[in-house]
Amino acid sequence: MLEKTDKSAVGFVVAALVFFFIGGLLTTVVPPLIDKTWMKPFENNDPSKGPTGKLLPYTDLEKKGRKVYVREGCWYCHTQQTRTLVADTYRSGWKGVRSPISTPDEFVYDDPHMFGTKRTGPDLSRIGGKYDTQWHRTHFRNPRDLVPGSVMPPFPWIVNNPEEFPALVAYIQRLGRDKNWRPDNDYEK
Amino acid sequence: MPEELQMKSPGVAATPLYDEPHEDTTAKWFLISSIAYFFIVGIIALTIAAKFVWPSLLGTVPVLTYGRLRPLHVNGMLFGWLLAADMGLAYYLVPRLCGVKLFSEKLGVATAVIWNIIVLGAVVMLPLGLNKGWEYAELPLPLVLLVLVAWIMFAINIFGTIATRKYEQMYVSLWYTMGTILWTTFVYPTGNVAVFFTTGVNQANLNWMYVHNAVGLIFTPIGLGLAYYFIPKAANTPLYSHKLSMVGFWSLAFVYVWTGAHHMLHGPISQWLQTISIAFSLMLLIPVWTVVYNFFATMKGQWHQLRENVPLKFLMSGVVFYLLTCFQGPMHSLRSVNAIVSKTDWIPGHAHMAVLGAFSFFAIAGSYYAIPRMFKTKLYSDALANWSFWFLMIGGLGFFVTLWLGGFWQGWQWNNPSIPFIDTVVALKPVWTVRFFSGVLMFAGITCFLFNVMATVVNSGGKQQAALRPAVAPAQ
Repeated sequence: MLEKTDKSAVGFVVAALVFFFIGGLLTTVVPPLIDKTWMKPFENNDPSKGPTGKLLPYTDLEKKGRKVYVREGCWYCHTQQTRTLVADTYRSGWKGVRSPISTPDEFVYDDPHMFGTKRTGPDLSRIGGKYDTQWHRTHFRNPRDLVPGSVMPPFPWIVNNPEEFPALVAYIQRLGRDKNWRPDNDYEK
Repeated sequence: MPEELQMKSPGVAATPLYDEPHEDTTAKWFLISSIAYFFIVGIIALTIAAKFVWPSLLGTVPVLTYGRLRPLHVNGMLFGWLLAADMGLAYYLVPRLCGVKLFSEKLGVATAVIWNIIVLGAVVMLPLGLNKGWEYAELPLPLVLLVLVAWIMFAINIFGTIATRKYEQMYVSLWYTMGTILWTTFVYPTGNVAVFFTTGVNQANLNWMYVHNAVGLIFTPIGLGLAYYFIPKAANTPLYSHKLSMVGFWSLAFVYVWTGAHHMLHGPISQWLQTISIAFSLMLLIPVWTVVYNFFATMKGQWHQLRENVPLKFLMSGVVFYLLTCFQGPMHSLRSVNAIVSKTDWIPGHAHMAVLGAFSFFAIAGSYYAIPRMFKTKLYSDALANWSFWFLMIGGLGFFVTLWLGGFWQGWQWNNPSIPFIDTVVALKPVWTVRFFSGVLMFAGITCFLFNVMATVVNSGGKQQAALRPAVAPAQ
């Protein structure tokens, strides 16, 4: 049947679109209809089912910080996903506590999503609460002052901006804390 | 037998039945501007590669920071250079394969003008931080709408030409060009418009459908369309098998679109969707090996031409890179391999082999073949063309191979959580240094390519000496 399509342009167009749309629709429109956790915000009150907590929408300050994160392309070098790999749960963990893996219901309010594809720097999916504002101020001004060997660019124009810096830090401190996985190890405590 | 094969590909035959004089104005506009962007964006590429070696370089100027220049590098190379060059070559080969003039040169030139506005708009807007935040889909919305307008104009011109064709049978390059146009019309808005109506994992799934198919259903089919046209042309030999080319095309049309979720393996996306994407990623070996076998079989008895024929050198090394990159792809999608290489520096090594090593090599070969013919002259220098090949080949191999080795090593280190993350960064510094100097070699190749093309164009104007010289290749 397909042999006819190299003489008939109309037949070709129909066949090419049918072939494409089978996979196209089944992998984009259908999956969120089947897996409801993609759209339902995380909430768990039962410690026997894993970490407790509730996903809340971002505050205005966090949203503003998130815009800075998008604008500066932080997501080209930092992923935001603790994968189902043992090493990821150690690396996203803190002071010996392994972090829970990332699940779709933790990202319902993320727009644009910041999962990322490349880890030139460490994953940030559970970075919230690990370092205080002063640490971030020094680190953004020149990362190599705190982390010798780092290749992260300096961002003095963010540190010197009294509106953007607190917003960006607020966003960073929020990341990964909707699952309450390390109640005793925050820098604040 | 050769006659029969030539009949199967009437437009590719050494002596076409219909010999329309072609204006090629649109093709010239697209090709010349795209090659200029190849060079300009090459400077951006070198700058960001240098930032890995000297991280404070230009570090206090916001518009020159890594996070602002990287999207310019990616979008500039993909849309300013490669897609524009592919479109230019489509404007060249479609009328020839149809035995008629291009449907409308005026519409084509208008398309080229819009395309240049898009690229120049991106050069201004991306460094200012106007970034939508999705990979490959960074361009701000006004530019996205312009891309869609230009794409529809391109579609009208190509389908208009095909509708008036004199050869009933459509050669395989026409299928790939039409496929690219049809699929892009849906793939591009999925990644650039539909994402606005979703969030989180749902959005990421659409984003990866687009990112994967920007390569799989835009650059792959248009690039293979070029290879199907220019390999028989440059080697002056008929295509090995029409039937194999059909198997390759229709399996690609069915299989590619399913694989987007393999970009989030082990990540927060449904396991069953990951498994589907893995199964279809493995099936990609069918279209790839079919097409590559067809190209190699076409070259049977013709390999000696690689010694002298520069377009053929680019084409056949492009085919080898295509085979390798499309073997890596399905292997990366296996969960065990993915746990090592995903998110590491292996991935840019893999991506550059596809987009530079395979598809840019096809577009460069097409440019070297088509530009002298469009300007009715001879290539300025075959020796310089040969230099551009070896600079790009050695620089490219240096880039790909060091990043694979470094990325694999990095992946093993990450999987041992007792190694602090910063140690895995420091370990990669020699790799990034080699990558930068490989980039310098690649840039030297791009410079030779640009100079050669520009000198050819300049020499073709005014002086009549071109007509006195013999044609470049015995073909045509």
